[in-house]
Amino acid sequence: MPDALVIMFVPFIACLTLVGIHGYFGIHVLKREIIFIDIAMAQIAALGGTISMILPVEVTTAWGIVSYTAHGGGTIAYLFSLVLVTIAAAVFTYLKSEKLYVSLEALIGITFAVATTGAVILIDVGAGGDVHVHDMLVGSILWVKWSQVLKSFIVYSMIGAFHYRFRHKFLSISEDYQKAKEKGINVRLWDFLFYFTLGIVVIHSVAIGGILVVFSFLIIPASISVLFSQNWSTRIMIAWIGGTIVTMLGLYFSWKIDVPSGPSVILFLGVFLFLALIVKALNIFGTSEKNVPGQSASGDVSE
Amino acid sequence: MLETIIFLLPPITACVLLAGILGYFGNHILTRGIIFIDIALAQIVALGTMIGLLMGFAEESISVQLVSLVFTLVIVSIFALTKFEKQRIPQEAIIGIIYGLGLGLAMSLAEHIPRGSNFIAKTITGNVLWVTWDNVLWCFVIFSVIGVIHIFSGKYFIQISNSKDSLPFSIGKVRLFELLFYFTFSIVIVKAVPIGGVFLVFTLLIAPTSIATIFTQRWVWRFIWSWIIGIIGSVIGIYISYNLDISNGPAIVCLMGIFVFILAFAKIIFGRSKVLKGVTN
Repeated sequence: MPDALVIMFVPFIACLTLVGIHGYFGIHVLKREIIFIDIAMAQIAALGGTISMILPVEVTTAWGIVSYTAHGGGTIAYLFSLVLVTIAAAVFTYLKSEKLYVSLEALIGITFAVATTGAVILIDVGAGGDVHVHDMLVGSILWVKWSQVLKSFIVYSMIGAFHYRFRHKFLSISEDYQKAKEKGINVRLWDFLFYFTLGIVVIHSVAIGGILVVFSFLIIPASISVLFSQNWSTRIMIAWIGGTIVTMLGLYFSWKIDVPSGPSVILFLGVFLFLALIVKALNIFGTSEKNVPGQSASGDVSE
Repeated sequence: MLETIIFLLPPITACVLLAGILGYFGNHILTRGIIFIDIALAQIVALGTMIGLLMGFAEESISVQLVSLVFTLVIVSIFALTKFEKQRIPQEAIIGIIYGLGLGLAMSLAEHIPRGSNFIAKTITGNVLWVTWDNVLWCFVIFSVIGVIHIFSGKYFIQISNSKDSLPFSIGKVRLFELLFYFTFSIVIVKAVPIGGVFLVFTLLIAPTSIATIFTQRWVWRFIWSWIIGIIGSVIGIYISYNLDISNGPAIVCLMGIFVFILAFAKIIFGRSKVLKGVTN
């Protein structure tokens, strides 16, 4: 048992930071119905990493110019990812328009497909493809390092504080895009900032947990919380508490019967959602009064 | 030149067939806003195949395909039957959850199947270049049967797709047609993904209809334009990939995907939405 604690402590803390930021973002994403934005962003960031792997990037050092190829987590790869994510955020912001009659989710999907297959084409040109694709999906949360967790935690805290400071803007837009526009909010600017911050979060999260774990932490706790409340703070609390419990169970289970920890956590999230659906169907908490489906609790925004 | 054409004829025919059936379904998928249904379904199909392999059937045998199909139909029934009058969790989120859980399970199982993770990677790209005439013929037969079903019940499907917040007829009737819709769609995905790979199928489904929808909102024209765009796009994609010696599926995906973005930008910059609005439906 102490062994489990030692091995699982860092992954556990890592998962908690993921739960923290994604439990919050998930509610936005669900409201805006851009479910797959995070997978698309992750893939774009990965494309940045792939490009940096293929281009031999020249780095000037004190000893002159050396040819430098970034591998996965290098600074150059990070910069490439950041640039691509920024571009994507700008494109998504620009393409949200009634003129198109095509939902943003469709364009996000196409972005996802192009980024993935683009990476496949590039990897074909480069080398070591298969492994890379697999690693990106699964991640290796078991082997995550303290430094990584700390770095992500700092980044998430900054983004979290930013979102808290300007919560009225972000929440208003997610609740009702049109109304926010009429209220005089610069929707373009705040949309861009939303995608941009989400993109940065995703870059860090995927490095820790892999695309799939991150996606699950984003969508499933938010889906559970919408079953029981329309209030933002309540939903965030439900997502956080649920996410924490699931993480503990998932990691313990994965250690106990020796299955990969990422998939284990995801499956427990699924189980948890299933239980939530049953609880909801049986109406155990008797919460039917204020949960009128589809009615947005706009009053919460000003809390 | 002639040899090239003969060599490329099966993949081109396959792509034309895929573009035809997926271009049709894509319009429904886009209108319903369940964009990622095909990626989730493909994952379920792959998971079903892995379950079949674990049960001891040979890879690519009829038994494995049957197991996979049954498994997929069960999941799809759950999805079709969870359509409610008021949707608390958006259907797209349910799709996301199905995808996440499907892939999570597949990855847990992959450890127990020889070359398991390789198997996940394979569904990503597919290989339309090596499709056999036999396979193409099967696709033609199956897609035709599904096409006929949709000719007869198409107008109900359109009514359901068009109604976002209300049901066009009783919940029972809606669910019946939903089952029919998703069953036929699953069969198409089961056939299409091994040939084209998840992303080619996804792109043929979403990209042509997106382009069409940017310019027209009438169902008939959307179908027609989706077919034209899908077929031309895939033929050009195969040709380019063959000449540049890159994988064909990814080439088509990138070509059509980038095309969508160019046209979307063009539409926003040059489009006159006010005038067009009068033409809607």
